[in-house]
Amino acid sequence: MAVFGSHFTGSAMWGTLSAVCGGVFMAILFAEFHLRRPGDPIVVSIAINLIALGLSTYLLRAIFKVSGVFQSHNIDKISLVNIPLLEKIPFLGPFISGQSLLFYISLVLVIFAHFFFKFHQLGLWFRAAGENKLALEASGVNSKKIQFLALILCGVLCGLGGAQLSISNVGLFVENMSAGRGWIAVVIVLVTAGRALPLLGLVFLFGSVDSVALRIQGLGLPQQFTEMMPYLASLIALIFVCYRKLKFETNTQGKRNV
Amino acid sequence: MKAELHEVSVKFGPFCAVNNVSLSFLPGEIHALVGENGAGKSTAMSVLFGLNNDYEGKILINDTHKNWCSPADAISAGIGMVHQHFMLQETMSVLENVILCSEPLSKFGFVNFNLATINVQSLISKYDLKIDLTQKISHLSVGQRQAVEILKLLYRNSQLLILDEPTAVLTPSEKHALFLTLSNFKLSQKSIILITHKIDEVMMIADRVSVMRDGKLISSKLLQHTSKDAIQENIIGGKLPKPIKRKKHNPRNIGLELQRIVIPGIATRNEPVSLQVRLGEIVGIAGVSGNGQAPLVEAIIGLRNTISGNIILNDRYITGKEVWERRQLGLTYVPEDRQRVGLALDASVCENACISQIDNQEFSNGFILKLGNIGRFTKKLINNFDIRVESASAKVRTMSGGNKQKLVVARELNQKKPVVIVENPTWGVDIGAINKIHKELIVMRDAGHAILLVSNELEEIMGLSDHIHVMSDGQLSKPLKSAEVTVKKLGDLMLTQNENHPSQKSRN
Repeated sequence: MAVFGSHFTGSAMWGTLSAVCGGVFMAILFAEFHLRRPGDPIVVSIAINLIALGLSTYLLRAIFKVSGVFQSHNIDKISLVNIPLLEKIPFLGPFISGQSLLFYISLVLVIFAHFFFKFHQLGLWFRAAGENKLALEASGVNSKKIQFLALILCGVLCGLGGAQLSISNVGLFVENMSAGRGWIAVVIVLVTAGRALPLLGLVFLFGSVDSVALRIQGLGLPQQFTEMMPYLASLIALIFVCYRKLKFETNTQGKRNV
Repeated sequence: MKAELHEVSVKFGPFCAVNNVSLSFLPGEIHALVGENGAGKSTAMSVLFGLNNDYEGKILINDTHKNWCSPADAISAGIGMVHQHFMLQETMSVLENVILCSEPLSKFGFVNFNLATINVQSLISKYDLKIDLTQKISHLSVGQRQAVEILKLLYRNSQLLILDEPTAVLTPSEKHALFLTLSNFKLSQKSIILITHKIDEVMMIADRVSVMRDGKLISSKLLQHTSKDAIQENIIGGKLPKPIKRKKHNPRNIGLELQRIVIPGIATRNEPVSLQVRLGEIVGIAGVSGNGQAPLVEAIIGLRNTISGNIILNDRYITGKEVWERRQLGLTYVPEDRQRVGLALDASVCENACISQIDNQEFSNGFILKLGNIGRFTKKLINNFDIRVESASAKVRTMSGGNKQKLVVARELNQKKPVVIVENPTWGVDIGAINKIHKELIVMRDAGHAILLVSNELEEIMGLSDHIHVMSDGQLSKPLKSAEVTVKKLGDLMLTQNENHPSQKSRN
C-alpha cells in the first residue's frame, strides 16, 4: 500500500497514510470475522496473512503489470532525520542519527505504550479485554468495542511498519517482502507478554540478528544459513518461553487449581 | 436499598426456567436463596443483575419500576454480583482490578492511582478486610480473590450484593471471615443475597430463606419461622431420605498403599507422601482444592510420574505402570472433572458407559463391538443408578450435571474393582444425586472394597470416611478416626502446614 500510495501521489506522507489505511482495512476484516462473527482468531489471522500475500502479488500484476519486484522513480522515500550533535558520537552515532522519521516515531510510541498500558484508563481496558473480557463485561463495559478499537490501532501500527519496510528502507516492493517478519513480531509479543519496554529490547536484538545476517553473507557463509538466522533466534526465544511457562505451571499448580 | 422481583418469568424456548417468582430483598437483611441445580436461582438473579433481559414481570428498586439494558444499568443502580467463577484479571494488581471500569481520572484519561489507592484503602479499613493492593491476582488464594471481588462491589458503592455460591471453594476459616464481613455489611444497611445449596450456612447466617424448585418459588420465610428439615424437604420436594446405614468398620488387607512417594509439582515442597487404604473402608482426604490432591490422585492412577517411592495395589507394585495396566490390576477412578476427564461429551451414553472396558469379552470380540450387549448394559446402569436421560443413544452433552456424574460413578463402581479412587464425586450435583452417590459408595465399602475419597466438602468427608487425612501444601496429616474428628480440628489442619515435622507425618 505504501509503495502504491507513494508511487501515485509522489509523496512519502501520502504513501505512509495509504499504508495505514491498508492496515486498518485488514484490522476491520479481522474484526468482522472474529468479533462480529464467531471466527477463531488464529484461523482468521492465518487466513488474513495468506490473503495479504496473495492479494499483494495479484495487485502487483494487475496494477503495475510486473511480477516479483516493483520499482519506480515516482516512489518518494521517507526522509531520513539527521540529529546534529548525536551523529558525531563515535560508533553509536550512525545508529542513533540518520534513521527514517518512522524509526523515531516508533521509539516514542513504545515509550508511550508503556505508560498508556500502565496508567491510562483505555490501556487498562485493553489489557482487561485481552485477558478476561467476561470480567470487563461484568463491570458494564462493552468488550467488543474495546477489542475493535484495539484492533484498529493495531492496524494503524501495522501500516506504519509496512511503510517503514517498503518506502523507507528500500523504496520498492518485493513479493512477500516482509518474509515472515510478522511472525517474528508475534514471537516477540509472546515472549514479552505484551510489556512494552522488554519488547523494545527484544526487537533490537532481533533487528541486530537480522542485520548481522545480512552483513556476514559477505564473509562467505551460505546465504541459506544467514537467512535462517532470525528464525533460529525466534525459535530459541520460543523454547525459552515454553520452558519458563512450564516452570511457572509446576510452581503454581497448587494455587491455580481453582 | 429495597429490591423486588415482581411476578418474574423466564422462558428458554418451551422450558420455563423461572416461573412467576416474586421476591423482595430488604436492606440490612441476608437473604438466602436455596434450591437444587437448575431450580432457577441463578437465572432469577441474572434478571435482577441485568444479564438476562428477556423476561416477563417487573424489577422494582425502592418501589420504582426499572428496566435494565445491561449489567451496567444494574451496577449504577447499586446492585453488585460476585459470580461463582470469579471475574478477575490474573496479571493485574488488586488495585487495578478493583477500580477497573470505574477509574478516577485525571487529565487526558490517565488514571489517578493516588486517589484510587486512598479511596480503596479507606474501604478496606472500614470493613476490616485483609488485602494487599499491590499484589497480583495470580499470587492470591481463592479466599483473597473473593475478597477482591467483594471489594470491587464496595468500591462501586453497591447497596445490594448478590453472592453466587460464595463458600464453595473456601476453607472453614476463610468462610468464617467472609461471614464476618457479610455481618458488617448488614450493619451498614446493605442487602445481601446468598445463592447456595449448603443448608448449614443458611442456618448460620441468613435472616430470610427462599426456596426455589423447578423454577417456582416454594417458600420465602424468616429463618426463625422455618427449620432445617422443612427447608430441605422444600428443596427436594418430598420427605428426606433416611440416613444411610453402614456396617461396622471391618478393615481387611491393604488394598492401596503409597510408600513415601514423591510427586513432582504437588505443591511448593516435594515432601514424600504415605497412605494406606484397606479393603472394606473409606479413607477421606480433606483439604482446600489446590493443595496437591489433584497431583496425588494423578500419581495413583498413573497420569503423573512419581520421582521416588512405591505405589502398591493388592500386594503388587504398580509404580511406573500405565493407566490401563493399573486399571486391569484392580483400580477404578471417578475423576473430579466429569466434563473433560470423566466423559466424552459428544459421544453417546452407551459409548461412555462402556468406554473403560471396551476390550471386555462382553462388549467386543476384539474386532467388532457387540452393540446389543452394550445397549443392555447401559440400560441396566441407567436403571440401577436412576440416571435421567432421553435414551441410551442420547449425547452425554445433553444431560444435566448430576446425571452426568451419576453416569461416571455408575460406570466406575459397576466394574467392582477392589480399589476405587473418587475425587469430589458430588461437586456441582444436586441433593438427590448426592444421596444416591453416597449410598453407592457405602455399599461398595460394605462389600469390601477399598475407597479413597478426595473431597473439598468437609461434611461429605466426615459423613462417609472411616479415616481422614488432611492435605495441606502437598503434605498429608496423620490418619484421624472420623468419629473423633471435629470440623474445627480439620479446619485447623488445613491451615497449619507445619504442625508436625513432615518426616514424622509420612511415617504414619
